[in-house]
Amino acid sequence: MTARLTIDKDWKPQFKDKLNRIIPNGANLSLCLTCGACSSGCPASGLEDMDPRKFVRMVALGMDQELIKHPWVWLCSMCKRCSYVCPMSIDIAAMVYEGRKLWPREERPKGIVGSCDMALKNDSCSAMGTPEEDFRFVVEDMLTEVRDNQPGWEELEAPIDKQGAHFFLSQNSREPVTEPEEMAPLWKILHLAGADWTYSCTGWGGENYCMFLADDEGWKTITTKTLKQAESLGCKVYLNTECGHSTFSVWMGQKRHKIETNLEIAPMVSYYARWIREGKLKVDSHWNRDLKVKFTVQDPCNHVRKGFGDPLADELRFVTAACVGEENVIEMYPNKSNNYCCGGGGGFLQNGYKEARLHYGRLKHEQIQRTGAVYVITPCHNCHAQIHELAHHFGGGAYRTVHLWTIIALSLGILAETERTYLGPDLVAVNLPGY
Amino acid sequence: MSKQTTGAVLIAGGGIGGIQAALDLANSGYYVYMIEKNASIGGVMSQLDKTFPTNDCSMCIMSPKLVEVGRHINIRLITLAEIKEVRGELGNFEVDVFRKARYVDMDKCIACGACTEKCPKKVVDAYNQGLVKRKAVYVQYPQAVPLKYVIDAEHCIKLTKGKCGNCEKTCPAGAINYDDQDQNVTLKVGAVILAPGFSPYNPAGKLIYSYDNNPDVVTSLEYERLLSASGPNQGHLVRPSDHAEPKRIAWLQCVGSRDTNTCDNAHCSSVCCMYAIKQAIITKEHDPGVDCTIFYMDMRTHGKGFENCYNEAREKYGIRFVRCKVHSVFPMAGGEKGQVLDYMDEHTGKWTRTTFDIVVLSVGMEIGPQVRELAQKLGVGLTDSGFCRTAAFDPVSTSRPGIYVCGAFQGPKDIPQTVVEAGAAAMRAGIALAGGRHTLTRAMSPPPERNIYGERPRIGVFVCHCGINISGVIDVPAVRDYAAGLPFVEYAADNMYSCSQDTQDNITKLIHEKNLNRIVVAACTPRTHDPLFQETLLNAGLNKYLFEMVNIRNHGSWVHKEYPQAATEKAKDLVRMAVAKVAQFQALEEARLEIDQNALVIGGGLSGMAAALALADQGYPVQLLEREAHLGGQANRLYKIAGGESVQDGLDSMRIAVANHPNIRTLLNAQLTHVDGFVGNFDSTVAHDGGTETIRHGVAVIATGARESRPTEYGYGGDARIVTALELDERMRQPDPALQQVNTAVFIQCVGSREPQRPYCSRICCTHSVSAALHLKELNPAMNVFVLYRDIRTYGEREKLYKTAREKGVIFIRFGLDDKPRVQVKDGRLEVEVRDHVLQRPVFLEADLLTLAAAVVPYKDEQLARFFKVPMNADGFFAEAHVKLAPSNFATDGVFLCGLAHYPKPMDESIAQAQAAASGATRLLSQKTIRTSGTVAYSSPMDCSSCGVCTAVCPYNAPFMRTDGPFKGKADINPVLCKGCGACVASCRSGALCLKGFEESQLMAMIECA
Repeated sequence: MTARLTIDKDWKPQFKDKLNRIIPNGANLSLCLTCGACSSGCPASGLEDMDPRKFVRMVALGMDQELIKHPWVWLCSMCKRCSYVCPMSIDIAAMVYEGRKLWPREERPKGIVGSCDMALKNDSCSAMGTPEEDFRFVVEDMLTEVRDNQPGWEELEAPIDKQGAHFFLSQNSREPVTEPEEMAPLWKILHLAGADWTYSCTGWGGENYCMFLADDEGWKTITTKTLKQAESLGCKVYLNTECGHSTFSVWMGQKRHKIETNLEIAPMVSYYARWIREGKLKVDSHWNRDLKVKFTVQDPCNHVRKGFGDPLADELRFVTAACVGEENVIEMYPNKSNNYCCGGGGGFLQNGYKEARLHYGRLKHEQIQRTGAVYVITPCHNCHAQIHELAHHFGGGAYRTVHLWTIIALSLGILAETERTYLGPDLVAVNLPGY
Repeated sequence: MSKQTTGAVLIAGGGIGGIQAALDLANSGYYVYMIEKNASIGGVMSQLDKTFPTNDCSMCIMSPKLVEVGRHINIRLITLAEIKEVRGELGNFEVDVFRKARYVDMDKCIACGACTEKCPKKVVDAYNQGLVKRKAVYVQYPQAVPLKYVIDAEHCIKLTKGKCGNCEKTCPAGAINYDDQDQNVTLKVGAVILAPGFSPYNPAGKLIYSYDNNPDVVTSLEYERLLSASGPNQGHLVRPSDHAEPKRIAWLQCVGSRDTNTCDNAHCSSVCCMYAIKQAIITKEHDPGVDCTIFYMDMRTHGKGFENCYNEAREKYGIRFVRCKVHSVFPMAGGEKGQVLDYMDEHTGKWTRTTFDIVVLSVGMEIGPQVRELAQKLGVGLTDSGFCRTAAFDPVSTSRPGIYVCGAFQGPKDIPQTVVEAGAAAMRAGIALAGGRHTLTRAMSPPPERNIYGERPRIGVFVCHCGINISGVIDVPAVRDYAAGLPFVEYAADNMYSCSQDTQDNITKLIHEKNLNRIVVAACTPRTHDPLFQETLLNAGLNKYLFEMVNIRNHGSWVHKEYPQAATEKAKDLVRMAVAKVAQFQALEEARLEIDQNALVIGGGLSGMAAALALADQGYPVQLLEREAHLGGQANRLYKIAGGESVQDGLDSMRIAVANHPNIRTLLNAQLTHVDGFVGNFDSTVAHDGGTETIRHGVAVIATGARESRPTEYGYGGDARIVTALELDERMRQPDPALQQVNTAVFIQCVGSREPQRPYCSRICCTHSVSAALHLKELNPAMNVFVLYRDIRTYGEREKLYKTAREKGVIFIRFGLDDKPRVQVKDGRLEVEVRDHVLQRPVFLEADLLTLAAAVVPYKDEQLARFFKVPMNADGFFAEAHVKLAPSNFATDGVFLCGLAHYPKPMDESIAQAQAAASGATRLLSQKTIRTSGTVAYSSPMDCSSCGVCTAVCPYNAPFMRTDGPFKGKADINPVLCKGCGACVASCRSGALCLKGFEESQLMAMIECA
């Protein structure tokens, strides 16, 4: 677009003024040096002829009319790789978040609006709308199946609303609704670790689409509900399942919306690492000594860069190496806090811009491909889904993606045949329980 | 001051700044203690390969200064030392200094290197940026001063574990002393100069640079060592990880500068843009096939000659400049070679990925915690960025009286600016201690010179082993024996180290014993060692010119390592020629010259006044010439100094100080009409107030300034709303109430600068416009302010102003030379059109005020240049003696330079340079008389054909045509001005000119026996 921009007496950059009012220091947007570091590191650069620097510039120059309902705000995954290096610490993600609000709520992407509304509609907070009783049924049904069919697991538990449990565990809706067998490995891990944990019928939904929707009230409602439920059960630790945005929504939501709580809000991965260190999880990479199956790890932006930083990335590597052998872990670059977003974050998977999402994900695909690894460990649901799709779209299935619980369970020798959906033929029969 | 001041100064830091300050002070009557934390002086400059923008070899230009400091009778060098406490006050300080044990007796060490050879312990070599290892007993670098070894106590096996002891066993001089103790000494000084330098930003631990454990990502200082012939690869450029030849090299600018996110350095480091260009050019000179790319935010080439260098880098060398801060550096997966950089290509607007073999991080300057602690201990105030806080009108004074500062600690800066400040700091200390001048210094007092006229030559030849440096290749005893048999050789000997103190004493003794009257030393380079041996001759009562040095090391054993026999033969040849030559030598006389104690300062602007005050405060009478009817120059038109100080208040107090000073006589409406004479004895004729007078003066300071150019574009002159920067300042000074009513104000930068017809950058305009934009925002915060620029050059801590301006909402739009803004007045509306550099879309600004940042242009006063025989550069600014190390001097002795006449610069830098020029002048004035070299040209008027070629070729104006006497019209040489370069001798077609010490007979004698 080359329309002329006129700055005369009537020029009034309202969106900029608003940002200056509502975000501390106006997200530093005025400080922009137009250096380009943000755009250089952004996989969304070029989509819709936009990039982070242009976005900031349009705000600064008061081009409000063009910013209203600009599709790019949905193509930015708010991964904050830009802010990570911005010499002026401009919070572009915060600006994009406000930019999403420039769309009337009802005109925002249907997938996200629907999921947010669904979560707000019932007390489970499940974006898939799973009612409380359904969740209880699925969990109990799955538990029975494991107890009945997997020798040695007769005592396995999956408590719901257990008063006084130490950990409150959130659960992404995907497993109970579409692949309940994926829940069991984590239960078994928790069992071996001796963790005193519980689900809850209320507020168990480990996802928050209202955050993606830039619906502050909705975000706050969901986070409040889940935290309060954990508190009411007397839990000490709010333990997030392997899900980046959900972890972030609770961790950041608590701060942003000033929700009072004494709970420790923790990502799953750091507890995996702790339990391995404490000898509670006796993982063993022996199974892979001769196989030499190569793994790489995806650092979810919400967990690492936006959340708990490089120490968590190091824990992720520690756990992975313990399970598959250090020599079989191949780093992708850039990594850790500097990692590229896969393109599954920020509601991208649900917003309907599929072509853009795949285009965005190409960098991630190339990054993975260059490692030569066969498996990508993704301790995040959105990373998992996106990388799974990238593997098929670009890679012809050259690599697979797995949750960390799958690999931990595999290396513990407790991963049942039925729990190997995401493993390839090379690992389908490896280290099966009972052999 | 009633109390007697101590005529000594302590200088903390032995980098180029400290060195310059030390020499200025020690040569003008003050005793100097130089405290250096390392084992030898030289600082960062000694680590550089070459220096911008001339690409001079850094060590080569610095080494003579190192040697001078090391040998100076009035400088005491205390290495491995740091300041603990400073008590007392200006004039009388007591400084507690902690000196670490060296474990090597400096008086005994002959620097033979035997200890290092036998030392089994390898240690990371900090001088080489950790790229190689050194031993636990070591010397920092081969040209180190003092050239004395040191034991690294942290790593020495003997000192840590009580074992080994190899060095003690090997040392031929018995210099090793494991029982050496740390010492505390208290020094009495009148003033302190802080010159501790900077710490380079350390990128370790930062994921975005992939610097850790990655040899192919290097800091700029490491790259400097990689380029250096004395570095780990002997200057052969290779990719560090595998020694493959690099094809692509990238420089990332602003690493650790202008960044408050990944580090805490808001300032610009000022020098990185230029050093990156320099490194890229040197890389291209190593191998033109290497693709060199510099990624930057703003190219800041704001110094003298820098913009030319930048243009050449692009146009001549094909270095690629990409305006984009690269997000991060990351390696390839699986150990594959190469560093990946993602960036936005400004030409295509597209996201681009390129792989490079080496990535150089252009790391910035910061002040380390130790220096900050020292400042706190001393009660010296710092800025937010940790640099020393100073005021624009007193740029080298710290917040504690009597403590001065120079160099990077005062703010990020390059070498010339450091040297300027060193001069200024020396000047300020000198003024403060004027009462103590010459009270603590010593003078050399050699015995009376023996007259050897008519004596038969009795030559002594001393052949040096230089440890094994020479004798490892050349058969030194054979050369000695050969020399003994040469004509007129009375005595020949060989020495392990001819330069050691005991050898000097021995040579003195032998001169007496054997009644020698001419000496030849066959050893290393005369460049560093000539003065040493000449001094020995003086001490033995011989004329110092009865000496010849032969370089059988650099020109012998080093270059002919593989051919020991031939090298020995060559050494014999060289000695034979030297003996033949020295036999012809006669004693030479050094002219002694009275220095008139008056100073003439030409130009009564800020710089001129500052120079005049600096000289007058030391008691020298000053005549201050100003062409206008009032003092102040361009500063009269300025509003505020960047940072907020009022210009007029500062200027007023300077004018009052000048007017009331008993030693300053101001001549207004004055014009220089004629200049006669030379250093120490100038006669200048000045026309003023309807008459003329002739002023006798020993030195002159040229401070004639520059002016704002009149724009010829952007509609200037056709509309009252379009003004220049100075015109805006005048309106702010009034103040003009209409300014408050402005709705939209626009600034256009580089108006008449950085254009093909005027290629230099005017240096001050970016800071000025940014400050002015801030003033406008203060007047009316709702005002829309736009600055249209090419590169914002708010260098150093001025960057903070740029940041504040953005914070306050000033919008900066970048344009290129090929797409400049367009200005038009239509229906009474003033419209500025510019293309936004980010969106690539046209922006129309309806302005009420358009300020043009007009170029600073010199007066090009060719008459003045002729009067003092000083050169101008192509732009019309006066050309200093040396861009790096003599920025305030002219090659013409006794004439100094400061202010805008040298190059555009802000007020604080002008004042510092004025004080530096005064410091240079003081070095001359304080000596009252000077001796010139004996190696000068002389004329035989009988042979002269009066062609005048000699007067044309001499850069120092030494030859002149006699105006009276029997040889009227014939050439003669003023020995005072002659530097002995020989240009006139070579160009004289009549053979009328000869150079003493290089007479035809002497050279022919050499050639005949060659």
